[in-house]
Amino acid sequence: MNQTASVANETVDYGRQREPLSLLRLVTNLYFLYSVSLLSFFVIWDRVAEYHLLGDALVRPHLVALQLYQLTQMKFAGQNLMGHIWASTQRILVGFSIASVIAVPLGLFMALNKYANAIVKPVFDLFKPMPPIAWVSISILWFGIGEASKVFIIIIGTFVPCLLNAYNGVRLVEPELYDVVRVLGGKRRDEIVQVCFPASFPAIFAGLQISLSIAWTCVLAAELMSSRDGLGFLIKRGMDTHKPALVLGGMVLIAVAAWSTSQILGLVERKICPWKRSIENL
Amino acid sequence: MAYQEVKVKTPLSMIVLPVASICSFFLIWEGLVDFGFVPETLLAAPSQVFNTMVVKLSDPNPDGAVLAVHAWTSIQEAFLGYILSLVIGIPLGLAMGWFKVVEGLTRPVFEMIRPIPPIAWIPLTVFWFGIGLTGKVFIIWIAGIVPCVINSYVGVRMTNPVLIQMARTYGATNWQIFTQLCIPSALPMVFGALQIALAYCWTNLVGAELLAADTGLGYLITMGGRLMRPDIVVLGMISVGLSGAVIGVIIDAVEKKLLAGIRR
Amino acid sequence: MTPTSPDIKIRCENISKTFIQKGHMEVPVIRDVSLDVRENEFLVVLGPGQCGKSTLLRIIAGLETPDTGSVTLDESPVTGPGPDRGMVFQSYMLFAWKTVLSNVELGPKLRGVPKDQRREIARKYLELVGLSSFEKHYPHQLSGGMKQRVGIARAYANDPKIMLLDEPFGQLDAQTRMFMQVETARIWDQEKRTVIFVTNNIDEALYLGDRIVLMRGKLPGVIHHEYLVDLPRPRDHTNMDLLRMRAKIIDETELVL
Repeated sequence: MNQTASVANETVDYGRQREPLSLLRLVTNLYFLYSVSLLSFFVIWDRVAEYHLLGDALVRPHLVALQLYQLTQMKFAGQNLMGHIWASTQRILVGFSIASVIAVPLGLFMALNKYANAIVKPVFDLFKPMPPIAWVSISILWFGIGEASKVFIIIIGTFVPCLLNAYNGVRLVEPELYDVVRVLGGKRRDEIVQVCFPASFPAIFAGLQISLSIAWTCVLAAELMSSRDGLGFLIKRGMDTHKPALVLGGMVLIAVAAWSTSQILGLVERKICPWKRSIENL
Repeated sequence: MAYQEVKVKTPLSMIVLPVASICSFFLIWEGLVDFGFVPETLLAAPSQVFNTMVVKLSDPNPDGAVLAVHAWTSIQEAFLGYILSLVIGIPLGLAMGWFKVVEGLTRPVFEMIRPIPPIAWIPLTVFWFGIGLTGKVFIIWIAGIVPCVINSYVGVRMTNPVLIQMARTYGATNWQIFTQLCIPSALPMVFGALQIALAYCWTNLVGAELLAADTGLGYLITMGGRLMRPDIVVLGMISVGLSGAVIGVIIDAVEKKLLAGIRR
Repeated sequence: MTPTSPDIKIRCENISKTFIQKGHMEVPVIRDVSLDVRENEFLVVLGPGQCGKSTLLRIIAGLETPDTGSVTLDESPVTGPGPDRGMVFQSYMLFAWKTVLSNVELGPKLRGVPKDQRREIARKYLELVGLSSFEKHYPHQLSGGMKQRVGIARAYANDPKIMLLDEPFGQLDAQTRMFMQVETARIWDQEKRTVIFVTNNIDEALYLGDRIVLMRGKLPGVIHHEYLVDLPRPRDHTNMDLLRMRAKIIDETELVL
């Protein structure tokens, strides 16, 4: 969902460019406003925490930073900070890879073969409205509280958007593009290889992005329920021992980690589909 | 022009296959459990789930409330959080799309909070509000507000710039352009947010109830897991899925009605 | 009718086609169209929007099957699309994920031409349309006129006997359109093919066509006039004979408002 900026149609107001520098201009300068916004966010947070307006459940920002710094210095529950980050990330990578490797080809196949679609789609539709987090309990029943149950939830959560986007990606291909291949002498196989797959790439990547953010929610839920390491574990431990600094530190880390993975995925996409801009700028 | 009407038949296989698929799904599931391929401690057969459902309609044991109470609690929480996120998120997103000052002041904070999965807020809400209704509504609100803001923002930003310039040349004020032009043209995007926000809310409701609750469908699922009762877990999952789907259909109908009103 | 000659390339006999719209409405699109096209003739099918002319072209391409009637190419019936008929589409239909060069070499690639050879072919036709220096670009980096030139090169690269152009310049601005007409005439002069060119623009038709068939302006489409344009090339839009013919065609165009 990072496309907001590129979708925007900004009207250029040339009159404004010649205005002399004034207080009003400074106040409406976007970067000035951004700094004001960030600054006041942290100041308000700091003041609220300082005067205990929310009880003792909020700590001042610098204490969160300090907590994070301490975590990098010492081991916490047998792992240092990188260890916890990697524990969560690893689960996501495993679950996410398994789900996408199965779901994307299945989605493509369903879109191309109406019989496969008629058989798989109804069962798939049964599972679709069920939130992935609802699977947490049953996956613990099935796989215990180890890695397998966490990976399973991530697979369940990421499977749906991967499959759905691959499916819709193919269904929304401009049909005349198939005509081009047919007129040039291509067979059904050529239509699929030359048109279907490449044309559905952007949709598949959009599905992967959605999946990734769901995967972070899922891993967090699984780790909050039961775990011995990972970012969710940090947050849970902070909750159980009533250490708001640890909870907030965990939230910051998870935000950073989720944001970074989605940026990396975006980078991969730009590498694989350098032509994608044409569709976005339509 | 009057054209001749013809009937196009759906091929028989396209009707038979989906029905057969669903039926065999349930039969295999039932069979797996009944014939002992899967131990009953791991999975409950559809018939057992149905029996449990009938029992749970009137019996509060073993988790403390009958099914209707659980469902009602969840729907109440979800609905409150959902409405709150619409009421706050949509105007905020619209304003962010048009007024530079609003965007400048809110966007950085919004972007900072957005990547945090809503259920990461659970511990804080427990500290702040306890395990009652408020905390869960807060989490659902956090979950639902993100798509509301994004869609409204993008909707305003996608207003045809030529129309805006046209309005300017006709002497419309900034506020008039916003209310008369940008908001109406953003409405389809805004309505698109209704469904997305609902899905987010519903997912995170279950998350919120898994950890901090004493009633609700998510709580039912957790308790089923703790008591090693797969029938209760599956019942909870089905109830969540079913009520989510029903609410989705209702929202979809509302959305269609509203959109039809705009097109006219 | 034009004098029947032995070198008839395409013969359409009594073609009719009905579409089913919205799942239950029968819309007759063309009715009883017969048409002969000679070898290396530049035939223009002229008609206003929504008159079935594109459907006629798609039937000849083999993308649609006629309900009645038949299309024969070199005396063998057309049953489906094939590389002997190249097509240029109104909305370009370039593959956004392929570079200009790979777009053009797709036809030979699908026919299994080895890489070196198809590169050579593609470069030859890119040069013909004047886009040699753009072979590494992606379609979204090109202007509309350039995109359509890639489309033309792509159709040519398959070395088809027939070129089918479906309102190829419909999305271009007036000036680019004029320029593309000149280019089309030049390319056709260098690489003679049998061409069927569908358009709604009278000037375009008169500038390019050896022969113009005029279709009625409402559904179902039928051919109701035919003109031989026996003027020397390159033509001039202000030539007196051409203008006289233009007036005649406008007179006889059945306008449906």
